[in-house]
Amino acid sequence: MPAYFEWKCLKKQKRLMNQCPSFEVSNHPLKTDPILFKESVTKNFMDYFNKWSGGFEEVDPLLKFGQMELEDDMEPIAVVKPTESFAKAWNSRRIGILNKYTTGEKLTIVSSFLPGGEQTLIRQVSNLNEKVKHRLEQLDDFDEDSIRKTIGLSQQEFVTKINMLSDEIKKAWDTEQRVKAFKIGIQCSKLLSDVSVMQFYPSKFIFITDILDTFGNLVFDRLKVKSFGSKTNKTIDDIVPNEVPESAKETCQNWMYKMASIRELLPRLYMEMSLLKCYIFISKDEIKPAVARITNMIRGIGNPLVAAYLRVYLCKVASKLLGNDSAQFFYNNLKEFLEEYQQIFNVTMRKKYESQLITTDKYLSLYVPAVDWLLYGTLILNDSRHALLEEFLQTCEQIPNNELFLCCILSAFDAPDVIKKSSQILQLIQNSADKMVMLTELLMTLGEHLCTTENYRQVASEALIQSWWKIANNIRPTVNFLLVLGPWLQFACTHLSTQYVNIILRGTIRYMIKCGTPADEFSGQFQIVIKRMLKSIPDVEELFLMDAFMPLVELVQSANARTLLAKTVLSIYFTRHTSVHIEDHIVIACLLRLCCILHDSITAVTVEDENKLCSELINKFVQAVTYQDLEQQLNFYVECRSSFIKLDGVLITLVHAVNTLAARANDSNGKWLQRACAAYCFITVPSLHCTLTKAHLYLLSGQVALLNNCIGQAEANFKALIGLIPDIPEYILEDAQKKPTNLRVAGILSDFLSTLLVFPDNVESNCKAYILNGFIRTMERIHWRKTEPLYYGVLLRTLDLLCELTQENYSYHIDSVLSNDKLYASEAKFIETMEKYATKICQELLVVLHVRGDSKDQNRQYNLALELFWRVIRRGDLQDKSMYNLAVNLWMLGLKLQDTNSIFAKSLLTVLENDGNLISAQLFKKLDNAVATS
Amino acid sequence: MSVMLNINLKRTSKIYHEGEVIAGVVVVETNSDVKHEGLSLNMEGCVNLQLSTKNVGIFEAFSNSIKPMNLINTVIELAPPGKIPVGITEIPFEIPLRARQAISPGYPGLLETYHGVFVNIMYTLKCSMKRSFLNKPLYTSCQFFVQYRQQDPAPLKPVRCEITPASIRACGGSLSRGVMPQFQIYAEIHTTVCPLDKPITGKIRVDECSVPIKSIELQLVRVETCGCAEGYSKDATEIQNIQIGDGDVCRGRHIPLYMVLPRLFTCPTTTTVNFKIEFELNIAVIFEDDYLVTENFPILLLRTR
Repeated sequence: MPAYFEWKCLKKQKRLMNQCPSFEVSNHPLKTDPILFKESVTKNFMDYFNKWSGGFEEVDPLLKFGQMELEDDMEPIAVVKPTESFAKAWNSRRIGILNKYTTGEKLTIVSSFLPGGEQTLIRQVSNLNEKVKHRLEQLDDFDEDSIRKTIGLSQQEFVTKINMLSDEIKKAWDTEQRVKAFKIGIQCSKLLSDVSVMQFYPSKFIFITDILDTFGNLVFDRLKVKSFGSKTNKTIDDIVPNEVPESAKETCQNWMYKMASIRELLPRLYMEMSLLKCYIFISKDEIKPAVARITNMIRGIGNPLVAAYLRVYLCKVASKLLGNDSAQFFYNNLKEFLEEYQQIFNVTMRKKYESQLITTDKYLSLYVPAVDWLLYGTLILNDSRHALLEEFLQTCEQIPNNELFLCCILSAFDAPDVIKKSSQILQLIQNSADKMVMLTELLMTLGEHLCTTENYRQVASEALIQSWWKIANNIRPTVNFLLVLGPWLQFACTHLSTQYVNIILRGTIRYMIKCGTPADEFSGQFQIVIKRMLKSIPDVEELFLMDAFMPLVELVQSANARTLLAKTVLSIYFTRHTSVHIEDHIVIACLLRLCCILHDSITAVTVEDENKLCSELINKFVQAVTYQDLEQQLNFYVECRSSFIKLDGVLITLVHAVNTLAARANDSNGKWLQRACAAYCFITVPSLHCTLTKAHLYLLSGQVALLNNCIGQAEANFKALIGLIPDIPEYILEDAQKKPTNLRVAGILSDFLSTLLVFPDNVESNCKAYILNGFIRTMERIHWRKTEPLYYGVLLRTLDLLCELTQENYSYHIDSVLSNDKLYASEAKFIETMEKYATKICQELLVVLHVRGDSKDQNRQYNLALELFWRVIRRGDLQDKSMYNLAVNLWMLGLKLQDTNSIFAKSLLTVLENDGNLISAQLFKKLDNAVATS
Repeated sequence: MSVMLNINLKRTSKIYHEGEVIAGVVVVETNSDVKHEGLSLNMEGCVNLQLSTKNVGIFEAFSNSIKPMNLINTVIELAPPGKIPVGITEIPFEIPLRARQAISPGYPGLLETYHGVFVNIMYTLKCSMKRSFLNKPLYTSCQFFVQYRQQDPAPLKPVRCEITPASIRACGGSLSRGVMPQFQIYAEIHTTVCPLDKPITGKIRVDECSVPIKSIELQLVRVETCGCAEGYSKDATEIQNIQIGDGDVCRGRHIPLYMVLPRLFTCPTTTTVNFKIEFELNIAVIFEDDYLVTENFPILLLRTR
């Protein structure tokens, strides 16, 4: 047990202003050098990222995708061969088709070349007899007559079979069975005459043309080898027919004759197309006439769907061979398609798709990729697109059922062209809107185009919107209406005054009510529409000024959907809202309503993240709202508190906001506002859950109250804070991680202690330094681990505070607040009390030092000893024997523990040496001796 | 010991015109020395006529008129008796292709190669190696094709026709079916005088048809006539049938007719004393219920440019 040392505080008579050693500097020590980070211009974004991820072996997989895309995007900047750009366009369309046109229906495949499938699997056989029989059967399978029909295939199985056929072609080719490969090719193309599962047709087309491509390549490569040997790397452009030897020419001719004698039209056409590039071996001039001829021959295909896709393949092959020259073929085929356009709508087709239970719009959508491809090729090299558009629109005017073509035109042409013609197009749509099944798509695409309009005077926006509304108002079902509404509303927002938008919104509400079904069913679409509107309107605040907006948002009844909407609106509002303050009352009311919806959705089971998100949104709202009148502002906060009581995050913000308000309030508002603010905080804080936050807010509110000279309120806050200290847990859960609190508690407590210096004592209480007293007692009450750094850290700080309190003049003040130095004027009794406390705490510290010594943690013990030593020599009165001895003892302890040559110890000694005080010099001598003797 | 004989012609297409020289090599491949009694090459061209089975009974009497008709027969000696060393030996040859000089009555000269059902005109090169008494002689043969020289193009002879129920009835079409559907079809062939190596082209247009069409087809038919003054058999058989319209085609649109003539099964229209080879074209429109309407066009095939 260490000896008892009575603490005597040193009274510094007069604090000199420049007491601390100082020297002049040219730079502010806290100012960091601005780090100039210059991003080199040549490096792109990816490089920049790579720099950071360079340490890893693998590039981030997500980045990798980005990289791939970037690489893809970079390439076309180089000179692109036209054929390649076609191939690229085709590939993207190909994937699109495969993704879009799928089916759950059962499919049928007719082929004689598929290996037996299940049959072969079952007959994994034992005895020789059966084996022979099986073999023979298998041989039969290859017989051409045994065409087998496999029915009831799922889409996946169908694709597998198709792939098998593709493999079969390669196998047959490699084993010199070229005729067999040819026959498989024919059979595959025959599959394309089957439209029994129509919705799968486009995908089927893709699969089968892939096979045909394979076949065409096989023939082509073989002819190439025959002509130029196997090592040639000639591409199709390098081949000069004159250099081709007779024998290769002969072989090629033979293929052509063979192809020309295929009985059925469809396979003949497909096979010719797949072999089209082989014409190059005979003569370069043959290709174009052949393409032109096939273009005409496709007229013989009666089924419009089959014919359309046949044209697609023709154009695809032509584009691959001829590049830019193929544009005319695209155009011709498009013309042909238009000539036969009415076939699409004839009765036989209608019967066919109706028997397959396909709706008309689904049926028409099957043609979209085909027409799209034809239009793409037609447009890509055309310089006078505008004239072309005019021509097409004229065609549309002349033909009935123009919706399909019109729809494709709209998506194929660029926005500027379409916009110029928008009123004409809209007129076209209006003329036959009643019977259009693709009305939604049409209006949507047109709307999307219009959204990109830049020039305000380019279009007669009002007239457009008016005629649009006439059409849209009659769209059924509601989903389609909402789909159409999205782009047009955006157009209206960007090009028309808010009155117009408001009218549309009102109309929408009327429509939604009239349609009978509750709006909840369409909440998804609804959300998209509102999102677009929010994103496109030039000034978001204007939205709330429309009288139809809020009713529209609240049209959705179910809580879930409503919350979602509110969240969308709020988040977009706050991302787009640029100014810091919201002042408009209507806007505030609307936002408050939305925030309330958001808040009301929170229940006990709401997940943490959701809470956080809501809090963030509401916080933004709370922070943005600004009233000129401070009282009104406070009222607003009061209202907020009652509205958002479930969200701790919001309450915290509110407390901060009110504290800011309190700090902003000056005396002109009267003391009552500051008091009201303080009261607000004091009442609000207890409803929070996290003790640490509570403590922090108490401290803050207390400080603000103190600043405003509301001593009573400040005291209440501090008391509450002290009351909380025992309850602060050692760890808190934050972001689902356990985090120790000690550092933060230490921060709060030291902050608190420094505040206490200026805090005037409650004179009515019967003890001096009432709050500090309470604090010390609370500290005693808590069962600290003595070795806890937090504990002795706080003790050291308390010691600092006690010493400072005894001074005649404190080192800092709050202007309006009368601190203890003035209050007690260094009254002896007060100082005595303080020193008593100090003695007690010093005692406690010595105990800690002792315990530390027991726990063999030398380093910490050493540091603590020096810390205490420092306080003794700086703050203690060394004249006092007890203090002097304590200092010496502490130094000796330090010396015993560790070499005192550490920087810390040395600097302490230097200070002591330079103190200029007699007693200090005496102590220094002694200590120096001790160092020397050790 | 094995010996292989092979004839390789210089021209890969194996197509020769009268007056040209057929050049090539006979390849003898052996794994030991071969002794032989002479190597000879025989060029032979003949017409084989056959009577269709349905007519056999009646025409057996005229069997003399259907024995193969020789068009050309030339033998040259490639090598005198001797020895061929081990390995591959190539013996080049050249035979002029010329018609017989002394013309017997009814000798048609060199005809084009043709493979038909009842008439076959074939030209072959046969190489034979006579060997010593105990060994069988070795043979190998190789077909080649004879074509006429291309003549100047003949003037086009387009034909047009309308096919309607009325036109069918006028031709005496069968009326086995009660009601004929209402239809009006226009067909056109750009020329009935067709060069052999050009496709037959034309167009067809369905102006009106009350029932759905299933298929529109173009049929190439050969008409072979065998016999002589005493009597003859005439048979029409299909060479190839090509679909040009599939399904219910669009009304009022010209659908192209396009048919590449098959190389082996066609030749210029030929008329000789003993046989005739002629060709016809049928346009057939098949309705959904398999009702068939056809229109026949005789055509003249020529070897012209």
